[in-house]
Amino acid sequence: MHFERVKKGKPRMEKYTLIVTEKPNAAQRIAKALDSQGKPEKIEEDGVPYFLAHRDQKLVVVPALGHLYTVVHERGRRNYYPVFNFKWAPRYSAERRAKQTRTWIEVISKLASNAENFIAACDYDLEGSLIGHCILKYACSDKEGVAKRMKFSTLTKNELKKAYEDPLPSLNFALIEAGRTRHEVDWLYGVNLSRALTLAAKRWSGRYATLSTGRVQGPTLKFLVRREKKIRSFVPTPYWSIRSEVEVKDSVYEVEYETKTFEKKADAEAVVEACKGKTGEIETIEMKKLQQKPPIPFDLGKLQTEAYSLFRYTEALISYPRTSSQKLPPTIDYKAILKKLKKKAAYKKLASDLLKKDELKPVEGKKEDPAHPAIYPTGNIPERELSEPEKRVWDLVVRRFMAVFGEPAIKQSMKTSIVVNGHYFYLRGRRVLKEGWMRFYKPYVRAEEVLLPAIKEGEKVSMKQVMREDKFTKPPSRYNPSSLLQKMEEEGIGTKATRADIIETLYSRGYAAEERIVATDLGFDIADVLSRYCPIVTSVKFTRELEEKMEKIQTNSEDRVNVLVEAVNQLKPVLEELKEKEQTIGQVLSQAIKRARMQERIIGNCPDCKTGKLTILYSRKTKKRFIGCTNYFKGICTTSFPLPQKGTAKPAQKNCKGCEWPLVFVRMRGKRPWMLCFNPKCPLKEERRKRNEMQSLQKGN
Amino acid sequence: MKCKVCKRETESKFCEFHDKAYRNIVKEYDVWKKASDVSWKEYLSEIANNSYTGLWAKEVTEYLMKSGEK
Repeated sequence: MHFERVKKGKPRMEKYTLIVTEKPNAAQRIAKALDSQGKPEKIEEDGVPYFLAHRDQKLVVVPALGHLYTVVHERGRRNYYPVFNFKWAPRYSAERRAKQTRTWIEVISKLASNAENFIAACDYDLEGSLIGHCILKYACSDKEGVAKRMKFSTLTKNELKKAYEDPLPSLNFALIEAGRTRHEVDWLYGVNLSRALTLAAKRWSGRYATLSTGRVQGPTLKFLVRREKKIRSFVPTPYWSIRSEVEVKDSVYEVEYETKTFEKKADAEAVVEACKGKTGEIETIEMKKLQQKPPIPFDLGKLQTEAYSLFRYTEALISYPRTSSQKLPPTIDYKAILKKLKKKAAYKKLASDLLKKDELKPVEGKKEDPAHPAIYPTGNIPERELSEPEKRVWDLVVRRFMAVFGEPAIKQSMKTSIVVNGHYFYLRGRRVLKEGWMRFYKPYVRAEEVLLPAIKEGEKVSMKQVMREDKFTKPPSRYNPSSLLQKMEEEGIGTKATRADIIETLYSRGYAAEERIVATDLGFDIADVLSRYCPIVTSVKFTRELEEKMEKIQTNSEDRVNVLVEAVNQLKPVLEELKEKEQTIGQVLSQAIKRARMQERIIGNCPDCKTGKLTILYSRKTKKRFIGCTNYFKGICTTSFPLPQKGTAKPAQKNCKGCEWPLVFVRMRGKRPWMLCFNPKCPLKEERRKRNEMQSLQKGN
Repeated sequence: MKCKVCKRETESKFCEFHDKAYRNIVKEYDVWKKASDVSWKEYLSEIANNSYTGLWAKEVTEYLMKSGEK
């Protein structure tokens, strides 16, 4: 490659084609695929990597860092609403945590000034199209009209080469418009509603606290609150079932009674009474053969659900997991992947067996994603030692990939009905006749066989056990991040790129807590205010309809401006209502914030009075920090403990191993953070004191 | 007026949340009565000690047990 050295010693190149990608990893792979030698040169400028490749012409492949531009308020202060005037601006100008995007934009602009041709090679979806468009328009000085578009769904060499040699003549502007509109509508809702809530609380209490909501955040919080309400007001009801066992040819099997549940205890007791210790007769034997197809490939949601249910773990070490596709196109080269997997001892036999097949045809699901295929292993064997969770998820992805090429499994089921004193019991057997795909997906699929002995109709069997089981109905289970994500997907709100961030925001704002998501009191109050004063904001129907309209922009069957105007028209009366009720809303929210802050300071139950809560308090006189019981204010309990005055102290949500008292987490500048047990009589403290005394005695000797 | 359980401002005996729990308690008593013929008092004691009973339902149950109200 020819360089012309300039004064500062930085290389200046001849004219070239600038290829813009979404992320550094994609830039590297694209450059490698397009370079005629497969060895592009990596250059780093102010920490921004880019790649020089040589093909029919010189190519510079430069990555973005996801979105480099965002929607911002066109002008004006931050502390008022409504605001409807917006513009697109560099992210660093709007977000404190996006400082590095400044150098990124500067480097891209510099590279663009010498470029002759432009190609967008970001993911072929809404976000990718928008990322590429913004860079070409703003960082490359309005090159969006002349740029070409590489369209690919996998980062494989062949597909990338084809996408480069036969690019689309222009960007997909319909996709870009749809992406732009989504960001703009989200900004309009997010900024205005969040400001309305934050300002209402601030004006009432004089204190600032960030409160937020948004077009998708509101309905998502509503899912949590609705579920939490059901759980908290749940009253269980009793029901009964029959647990029974039968002895057949010296073996004992569990059998199920014809009626699964009884609403009256007496009815269950009557069955026990009638069948206990009796002999039954096998009346009928039914045999069935069924075929079970292999599972479909993983999209992100399915992988998260499976990984969560198997390992309680949601992160995965795989590239491009943000896909909603359940398709595996042949371009990913199934054989090449299997050949690479063969190198790993654990997959050698399985991969070899698949490679012997005349044709490799995966079972696929219905969902497609224009930007990416379903999740699959690249075939690369990890170079570093993977952590245990990473290992598991990788193994799950590899085995699922192999399983989708497997033959259907064939199972046989047997249902035997046993009549005892006029009551029917069923003995069920299951066995696998042909493992098929299940062989590849072990241990994540279990056959759970129940093998029955040879039995004949009319044969007598004795009831070993017939007993009544007392049960209660259970409340619905709480969402976890994965099931909440699935709920959002089912309800058609948000996109694959935004859903996880929205859940994260619910946690960071303090509206949600814990792994099994609990809606906090603050979350309740926010949802309450929203559904009382602006129900449309938490309406799933409204959010979904807006999503559908935005999707129609992609196919040119809806106009961007119409959608924006409609969104503003819907928003205006909501904001007017919020402004009108600002005082009432401010009071509710301020009290909620106060309660939430109080809650954050609660350490645990008072060990003395047992009814109060130990809380971190501040003395009005001395302003000093200490631990006190909430019953002090009622004149019941005077328990108090000192706390270090420097640094921060907050409840550790853990108990001391020595005395079971709650611990306080203390962080002080220049010191390692530590867990403080404030119990003066803690046995661990006594032990430590004795040990120290012993050590100083030994030193003295 | 304040909620008898949580002292939130309300227009009736219980706040919106505890009222929902109260209505559930009353509604489910019929199921319990049909199932095992328990008295109101026995019923309250059963659900107060049941681990599946929700927090608000437990709080209302405790209030009802203490006050003797139905």
